[in-house]
Amino acid sequence: MDAGRAHEIRTGLDRKPGLREQAALYYRISRLNLKAQTAYHGEFVLGLLFGLVWQGSMVLFAGVLLLRFPGLGGWKQGDVLLIASMRLVSHSLYVACFSNIAMLSMTVQEGRMDGFLLRPMPVYRQVLLSRFQVNSFGDLLAGAGIFVLALFRLDLGWTPLKAVYVVCGILGGTLVEAGVQTLLAIGALRFTGLFTWTSWVDQTISTFGNYPLNVLPSPAKDALTFVFPVAFIAYLPAAIVTGHTATTGLPLWLTAAAPLLGLGFFLLAKTIWYRSLRLYQSVGG
Amino acid sequence: MSEIALNPASGPGPFQLPSQLPSQPPSQLPSQAPSQPPSQPSPQFPPLRRSADTRQSRRAWRAARVTVLSEFYEWGRVASTLGMLVIRAALTYWLWQALYATTKSAAGLDSRQATTYALLGVFYVAFRAVNRWAARDNMVQHMLEGTIAYWFLRPVSPRRFYCIKACGDLGYGASWGAIAYIVCLTSGVIAPPVSVRAGLAALACMTLGLVTLYYLRLLIDLACFWTVVNNQLVIMYEIVQNVLAGALVPLWFFPAWFASFDRLLPFQGTLNVPLSLYIGRTPVNQFAGALEVQALWIAILAVLSTLVWRRASARVTVLGG
Amino acid sequence: MNINRPGRSGALGGRAAGHAGGITAENLTKVFHVSARRPGRFSAVRSLISLQRVARTAVDGVSFQIQPGELVAFLGPNGAGKSTTIKMLTGILTPSSGRVEVNGLVPHRERIANARRVGAVFGQRSQLWWDLPARDSLSVLADIHGVGPELFRERVAAFDRILELSAFWDTRARQLSLGQRVRCDLAAALIHDPAVLYLDEPTIGMDVVVKEQVREFLRDQVENRGRTVVLTTHDMTEVERLAERVILINHGRIVYDGDLNTLRRNHSDTDGPDGNADLEDVMRRAFGRQAASELLGEGGEAASGVEAAAGGEAASSGDVGVSAGSGVEAASSTDAVSGGDVEAGVGPGAKTGGRPKAAIS
Repeated sequence: MDAGRAHEIRTGLDRKPGLREQAALYYRISRLNLKAQTAYHGEFVLGLLFGLVWQGSMVLFAGVLLLRFPGLGGWKQGDVLLIASMRLVSHSLYVACFSNIAMLSMTVQEGRMDGFLLRPMPVYRQVLLSRFQVNSFGDLLAGAGIFVLALFRLDLGWTPLKAVYVVCGILGGTLVEAGVQTLLAIGALRFTGLFTWTSWVDQTISTFGNYPLNVLPSPAKDALTFVFPVAFIAYLPAAIVTGHTATTGLPLWLTAAAPLLGLGFFLLAKTIWYRSLRLYQSVGG
Repeated sequence: MSEIALNPASGPGPFQLPSQLPSQPPSQLPSQAPSQPPSQPSPQFPPLRRSADTRQSRRAWRAARVTVLSEFYEWGRVASTLGMLVIRAALTYWLWQALYATTKSAAGLDSRQATTYALLGVFYVAFRAVNRWAARDNMVQHMLEGTIAYWFLRPVSPRRFYCIKACGDLGYGASWGAIAYIVCLTSGVIAPPVSVRAGLAALACMTLGLVTLYYLRLLIDLACFWTVVNNQLVIMYEIVQNVLAGALVPLWFFPAWFASFDRLLPFQGTLNVPLSLYIGRTPVNQFAGALEVQALWIAILAVLSTLVWRRASARVTVLGG
Repeated sequence: MNINRPGRSGALGGRAAGHAGGITAENLTKVFHVSARRPGRFSAVRSLISLQRVARTAVDGVSFQIQPGELVAFLGPNGAGKSTTIKMLTGILTPSSGRVEVNGLVPHRERIANARRVGAVFGQRSQLWWDLPARDSLSVLADIHGVGPELFRERVAAFDRILELSAFWDTRARQLSLGQRVRCDLAAALIHDPAVLYLDEPTIGMDVVVKEQVREFLRDQVENRGRTVVLTTHDMTEVERLAERVILINHGRIVYDGDLNTLRRNHSDTDGPDGNADLEDVMRRAFGRQAASELLGEGGEAASGVEAAAGGEAASSGDVGVSAGSGVEAASSTDAVSGGDVEAGVGPGAKTGGRPKAAIS
């Protein structure tokens, strides 16, 4: 039994809440969080705008460049736009559901982690529920908007299979990003200076995740595929959909399995995170 | 009561041990008239000289060393900074090389110019604002923890203290930036300035740009006094500023209407103008015009920040009991 | 010394003579304007647009005088106005009305001059830099106060004698225990040899040994060095052992101002055994039963609307934590508490936004 679940003492009196109960609980928690957030009026309003502005600027970056440069590593403009928009939607889902794990160092510094370890709820879930991410509204809006625009500019032969695959690809991308931040969050349990890394990673993914990675020279490309799985977020699924699989430098099955690998990566990261809970050092004397 | 020799002329003397004070009677209950002033100054604390009173301590500028010290006491942070910078620079370099692989020139820039611009942009963004969050030294953190109270109990005004901190941060960041620049220059990754004059003009513009950024960040931080937390504001500001300054993409890649709108704002003077001068896109003789705009903005922001500081000082309330 | 010479501070006479260490407060009043949620339907949305502002008097006409070299303890329930009074004395807060003079200066007007003559330790809030060893923090603070290197060394050595700082002053502040940190903060507050020292609950949360050490230190400062010390505390032992004089504040007004023995005589019926029990009993009578439990810190933190208002919510409206009731956002956190639901519902939800200890009026 890993550290996170070890504290769930199972006696005759304790029983695991059913699915419906859990859902009601999460809803209630989120509502409370939201209520608390709305108390900081200025911040709340800004948070709504934040997502739009942040993603908007990233899209601006990608869009402006794409318009000026005819193509990238054999990819047409429209195809590159697909990568960018898939990544955007993935990211906005990540922000909505998982971004609190990236803020773990702030949560630890506030001294809230101790409380999480003492409650009859999985610690990871509590971390995810610890804040209401107001940004996510803006992010989702921006992501969905760009995605729809991209779809209009693309001329792929859309089939139901492709559509389903794109959805899987997006979900897989969300999980990859969540997995990466979860692994980084392990550092937050022990070191409090890690916020800079998590935001740097966020920025790097946002900047470089929009491009077909085959344009980068081999060491960089391999690093971004195997060391730091940016490729799996949007590039590889998009490659399948647009048919650019020859240039990815990876076997076809690996490319096609990207969403599944994303899921596996996330589950692995979460398990390792739970194991690492014993590294946790509380703040303060 | 025993006689105690007074020596008002001397300043605070070396820390000394005992001599007995005459015992004071306990003060009266509030119902009685309280208007007797304390009749004897304590002999251990001779009054400070008038001139020393209101003049702020000049030695306080040495406090700027806090940034460097705290960053270097945590080797992990230095290593992180280095690592993040190298990776980001490498990726940027490769990306721009790739973008230009199929074209010779885009928006009037060739590959080397664009790469130089992009890399200098990366260094600039990485170092112009040292993040003190991990050291719990941001203004918003002081507000949340209540330690902002101490800022008002020092013989330097909070305003000057903020400036001292910012100078410390800037010195630290600029050193890193300079090192990165020299390394890249000597390894041929980026091009030298088109002429010495252009290089100096770029440097002058960038310095003024940093002053502008200081005031902008100051105003954002002062928002804490009204809204308590300003995390979102800071992040938004950073993004907007990066975009409008041309840190992500050189401004001339943007459509014309955007560029002319941006010219009115103070941001492009912080990065776009100096770098354009550097790579030769803007001729040096247009330097004076750009400088005027920057100077005007600095004047406006300086006045604004003075006003806001005054109101902010009046607003602070520290919570508790 | 001509105390009748008019000085810049006004009525009390020449500043050059220096009333080093003396504090005068006359009719100090502080009124906060607090935002309260509008009652009625859709209160959340309406609050987003505009908030009702309510005036709350934290300190109401407080007057006292402290002679140089006195050690005075302020006592009172949470939310009574002790800290607000201290903040006005330090000059951080500007009084809404009334007059205050410290060392012959008006603190909130002559901040720089005032800062040279006073030092403060706000319990649990450290002015040390987290990543620097404590000694480096002290050195930087000495620079800020304009204290030269030799003086600095001497003073630090003197503090070390009683507070035993050398055992841990090379450790980073982040890694110090609370007791160690407060001791360093005491040194930091006194590095410039001020005439007046303010302590806002300095020993809260400390263990007995360190508390005794701090008390030793404070006694030494007052008796041998002649500093004026103003102290707020909830610790009865501290009051008994240190304070010659106590000022009791409740609901923003002074309830009692005088020495401890007289207070005992006034409020106790029988001669109980000496010690804490006796003093607690006295306090209960002085304040009334309900308030006393807060004074003594028994569940006092939660009782005060300040903490109960889930930090973020009350303070967020941009204002000081407010007493419970008055339709402030405190209501929403009590909803959560009384919801009877799993604590998971309370923890993450109620504490979002952190627990700000600074707020704006």
